[in-house]
Amino acid sequence: MLSARFCWRRASRSLQSTVRHNGTTPILLGALNAAISRYDTSSEALKTIAIKDNIVTKDLPTTAASGILAGYTSPFDATVVKLLRHNGYSIISKTNLDEFGMGSHTKHSAAGPTLNPYSRGGVRLSPGGSSGGSAVEVAAGQSWAALGTDTGGSVRLPAAYTGTVGFKPSYGLLSRWGVIQYANSLDTVGILAKTVRDVRNIFSDLNKYDEQDPTSLPPSIRNRISTNPHHRSSTLRVGIPTEYNITELHPLVRSAYTRTLQHLQSAGHKIAPISLPTTKEALSTYYVLAPAEASSNLAKYDGVRYGQRTRDPDSLPKENLPLYAKTRGEGFGEEVRRRILLGAYTLSSESMDNYFIQAQKVRRLVQRDFDSVFALRNPLLDDHVDRYARDGQGVDVIVTPTAPTLPVTVEEVKQQSSIESYMNDVFTVPASLAGLPAISVPIRLVDEEAADLEETDVRSVGVQILGQFGDDENVLNVARLIEEQQGR
Amino acid sequence: MSVSRLRYAPLHLSRPSTGHLPATPRYPRACIVAKWLQSRNLTTGHHLAREEAIPLRKHLKDEAKRKKTESKALGGSGVAKNQKIDARLKKWELTVGIEIHAELNTACKLFSNAPAEARGVQHAITPNSRVALFDAAIPGTQPAFQVATLLPALRAAIALGCEVQRTSYWDRKHYFHWDQPNGYQITQYYRPFAKDGLLVLRASDGVPASDLNGAETLAIGIKQIQMEQDTAKTTNLGSSMYHIDLNRAGMPLVEIITLPHIHSPQTAAAVVRKIQSILKAVDACVTGLELGGLRADVNVSVRQRGTDGTRASYSGVGGLGQRTEIKNLSSFKAVEDAIIAERDRQIDLLEGGGVIAGETRGWTLGATETTRLRGKEGEVDYRYMPDADLHPLVIGKDLVEHLRQRLPALPGEVEAELEQSYGLTQKDAKTFLDLDDGDRVDYLEAAVAHTLSKLGKSLGSNEYENQRKVGKLAGNWILHELGGLLATQQRSWADMAVTSQDIGDIVALLHEKQITMRVAKQILADLFERESITETSTVEQLVNAGNLRLRPLTEHEYEELAQGIIDDSPDMVKAVKGKGQKGKIMWFVGQMVRRGEEGTVEPEKAKKVVERLIGSVEVS
Repeated sequence: MLSARFCWRRASRSLQSTVRHNGTTPILLGALNAAISRYDTSSEALKTIAIKDNIVTKDLPTTAASGILAGYTSPFDATVVKLLRHNGYSIISKTNLDEFGMGSHTKHSAAGPTLNPYSRGGVRLSPGGSSGGSAVEVAAGQSWAALGTDTGGSVRLPAAYTGTVGFKPSYGLLSRWGVIQYANSLDTVGILAKTVRDVRNIFSDLNKYDEQDPTSLPPSIRNRISTNPHHRSSTLRVGIPTEYNITELHPLVRSAYTRTLQHLQSAGHKIAPISLPTTKEALSTYYVLAPAEASSNLAKYDGVRYGQRTRDPDSLPKENLPLYAKTRGEGFGEEVRRRILLGAYTLSSESMDNYFIQAQKVRRLVQRDFDSVFALRNPLLDDHVDRYARDGQGVDVIVTPTAPTLPVTVEEVKQQSSIESYMNDVFTVPASLAGLPAISVPIRLVDEEAADLEETDVRSVGVQILGQFGDDENVLNVARLIEEQQGR
Repeated sequence: MSVSRLRYAPLHLSRPSTGHLPATPRYPRACIVAKWLQSRNLTTGHHLAREEAIPLRKHLKDEAKRKKTESKALGGSGVAKNQKIDARLKKWELTVGIEIHAELNTACKLFSNAPAEARGVQHAITPNSRVALFDAAIPGTQPAFQVATLLPALRAAIALGCEVQRTSYWDRKHYFHWDQPNGYQITQYYRPFAKDGLLVLRASDGVPASDLNGAETLAIGIKQIQMEQDTAKTTNLGSSMYHIDLNRAGMPLVEIITLPHIHSPQTAAAVVRKIQSILKAVDACVTGLELGGLRADVNVSVRQRGTDGTRASYSGVGGLGQRTEIKNLSSFKAVEDAIIAERDRQIDLLEGGGVIAGETRGWTLGATETTRLRGKEGEVDYRYMPDADLHPLVIGKDLVEHLRQRLPALPGEVEAELEQSYGLTQKDAKTFLDLDDGDRVDYLEAAVAHTLSKLGKSLGSNEYENQRKVGKLAGNWILHELGGLLATQQRSWADMAVTSQDIGDIVALLHEKQITMRVAKQILADLFERESITETSTVEQLVNAGNLRLRPLTEHEYEELAQGIIDDSPDMVKAVKGKGQKGKIMWFVGQMVRRGEEGTVEPEKAKKVVERLIGSVEVS
């Protein structure tokens, strides 16, 4: 009984912080009680999972942090939620995000910003975005793990900023049925946890074909992936893209990154400089394609069938208001409105060719860049196995920093322009464009590196591991390896 | 309604007594909203400008009335006006391209497994009862392409001679309207599934001789066919209340786009009619134009003959004038009349030194002019983009071949068959096809088969000729005798209790001269009066019960009968002999048929006897 009460208190504390941090709500009493009756109350034993609020749940409201979905509860559970429940996880809360996933700091939310538990000079740090709520829940120990979504880095960036592990699987492995679309050709469900092992366990429970998601990889391709011929030795070839060595790279990020590579090298793995020439164009490509798809995917929010609707005079012809302009104008936040307008522009007949079509071509080039450096062939392409010179020079994984800098404070975020905050995604976007598996693993700063940092600061840097499409297992293996090198 | 009018009526009119069928549950579109938007240049596409569904027959009646009063008002100037129009048409050439939207005959929607809203179903379906999560654009849902919807679309493409593309894609066409829950329509804009078809028309399809130019047929190119989603229904209640029914949202449509190969309003109407009949024949489509299963948009331009117009080029056809588009025409007549009106408006404008603006125009049934809906500047940018959730549509050659081999006969093929093997005239063959969704063709085939098997070897050995002979006779009976009864009794074909076997029996008896024409007609009328076919009276029974079988009179009996009438009617004899009124002979024949016992007098024989006897009568 004592432990039960403790658990209750803990749970309610956790609940409060969830509400405070994340503006969204409650807890599954049934699962909690079940765990209590087993007298095992650790969050790991409970396997409590927080769900980003753009993944629909039947028993908790789903708002995508948007005013336009205020009070909306989905009539069905997302497939990933169903699988979690089926596998005995407890879904305890819905977490805050940048509205519909559009943002890098979890500040563009109808529920208000989420703050990183870490701070600098008394000012809280940005938790990254858009899955900032999920990352903070995990970092603060309020849930054992969390689901996020990653469209251009939305799981990896918050993981890097909160010192957690954030994994974006290959596009199409985890079902998107029930995931509220932002840019559906890029959206993936991602997993956040404290360790690679936990991420892997959840991933293997969710990695199932779902016929309700037309982009879910069918069993035939899953089979092709698992039998993809490769000759992997115990030593890895690790690709280091020269294009990622940018001047903006923060010295601490650079030193943690270099240290990680040195560890790999000293463990006998080969470090190979590689070139991904389209990297520079990838970010602008992303910010053409994602808003274009967003402008289309968000066209459904009109307040007619569900969600928030502006009462009169919206839709009143006499008032000279067309359709539901006011509902949409009031329901969406500023960043969402900006991206819808941007997307509508790049899809308009005059600019389609210059922006959208051009961006699709660049996207193809980004994918080709990756295909040309990986030893493994892309299982989605059957035509050009030998198009690129392989001669044993291909790499098994690519290791990069997750973000160019440490997290900035929320005060600094306020000073940033939209474009500046888009820069956070520069290292994460290429993998999204190519649909590749990518994971961010925290590298703890060593004492001399962290000498200038306060105790309250995050004191870790995210390092990102990328793999060929479908090579998720290998990416997780390397992530585990890097984790182990830090003595964890 | 007379039979002859029926023949020229479009398919749906072939059921004269709509009173037996409740009106199809289709609600008018949101007209008021549409007008409001139009007035503000905010129209966002075809979905808004749809006309209110006026029952077609009512419309035609009103139309006829209006024309009548109009021509009265014009007095004798009509002829002069017509001549003026002819002169203008010698100078100006019309060019038309058509886009037809047709609802596919499928069991479910295009991207969800919600049941399709069956048209023509006699009971109303509860609004919003056939809606899957995706149809209502519930957050987090995705489309699930229903492969079965491809079959009717492919049948349509094959029947229209298109090349089915191995790979085609799905695109989103964006515009905001509450009848479109996702905010976009999924269609095939960039890469449609079928291209480069051909529609072949004949004079009997309604193509004027001037368009045929002496040739047998006229070929109209089909540019492409694409699959796409239909929108929801809106019902307007009061001034600011709209009810939305999503049952139709996401229903599969095909859009058929012809090349600008059409040069007369009549041919344009014929094209729409022909496409409709082909779609029905191959079961791609259930309902026709007037029930909302089909809609047409027309692109109209004129150029001075022998010139390149404004050198505009549409779908690869160059040297044309600036075109305008008229949207949402929902009857064959509207297609024809709208094109006439728009052609005349464009010629007027050009002859007055004006310039045609590329714009979208509307047409209201019964109007004399098209009206401007929006110009280029008011055009909605649909922001077409590929739908990343949907895989490309890959269609195997084997499937196309399989369907091609099992394609039902097309109207043109059936028509030719009716003419060649059943001895029908082109006009009758066409009528057979047009009436009752072609039901009467099957009926004719069954009746002829029955007659042939009944008559057996007695017909002789030339099977081809036998079938033509019997076919012609049976065709006449089905079309004209039965048709006459249907029309005068105001019954519909579907309610009619005369079976093909009955007709086959009558034709066989007639052929064997076992009954007279008069008796045959009486039997048919009796059969027609039967409440249902379950009543057991067969032709044979009726003939036997009424003792109606022709028992040939002897020559002597004929003479006796004739002589009696001649003796009784000296005046008539005088008329024939004295005044030479040969026609009066038939009066005598009629009298003989009447006086003789039922079914005993054969008119031809009687005529000969009368002629001989009267010839020998001395006139005082």
